[in-house]
Amino acid sequence: MPLMRALGPGSVSSFLKTILDVVFYALWVGLGVSGLLLFAALLLSFNPDLIGDIALSAGESELLAKPPVLLGAILAVGLYLAGVLVIVARLRQIFATLTAGDPFHPDNVRRLRVIGLTLAALELGRYGFQILSAWLLPGRNQVESGLSLTAWFSVLVVFVLAEVFREGARLRREAELTI
Amino acid sequence: MPIRVLLDRVLLERRMSLTELADRVGVTIANLSILKTGKARAVRFSTLAALCRELDCQPGDILLYEPGPGDDEPLIEDD
Repeated sequence: MPLMRALGPGSVSSFLKTILDVVFYALWVGLGVSGLLLFAALLLSFNPDLIGDIALSAGESELLAKPPVLLGAILAVGLYLAGVLVIVARLRQIFATLTAGDPFHPDNVRRLRVIGLTLAALELGRYGFQILSAWLLPGRNQVESGLSLTAWFSVLVVFVLAEVFREGARLRREAELTI
Repeated sequence: MPIRVLLDRVLLERRMSLTELADRVGVTIANLSILKTGKARAVRFSTLAALCRELDCQPGDILLYEPGPGDDEPLIEDD
């Protein structure tokens, strides 16, 4: 079986690039929508009369009856999307260096570290959201709880990769100055 | 780096320009400048051989070892 091409049309990387682009723009749309929802929820919280009408039509009366809960939920979704957007944006930058034929660019070490830190922050944010939702909506906590080992393991993997890239960047600098 | 590159002197003796040498050796002028100004970290044996061939000299005519303060650098840097 012939090996798939590493770069160019029809290669694994062009497939990945398409996925990254789609996810990147979808995240921006999602962030925009959650921003609009947050704005609408803020407006509604100042007009409690409107809430009753919407709560009836939406059917989630318990959630909408507590404006701070609704605001918090939209804010949490927005923050989560922003975090994922930070990761995807860095991945696209890393990918740009790959397609430019220079994947061991020194900046990629920093980008990978940002991805690792963001992954860790998202996981910590999830714990915070769990605690907050358990406090605001006792007995209605449907968010998956517990320590996610997979999340922390991926943080570890990304940090290890960042160190590998640091060594790669050093070798690249060395190769550049080898005549 | 305690290794000094004496390409300048040899070129002057041979009355050869850097551009001409770059053409003959098959190395870019930019890379040859890096070598000439002592910024290079390493020289490939193939490059050294081509330089010696075109300049009709020995490696010792181009390279000079001068012990200095940076001489005790470890071989593998951990920066």
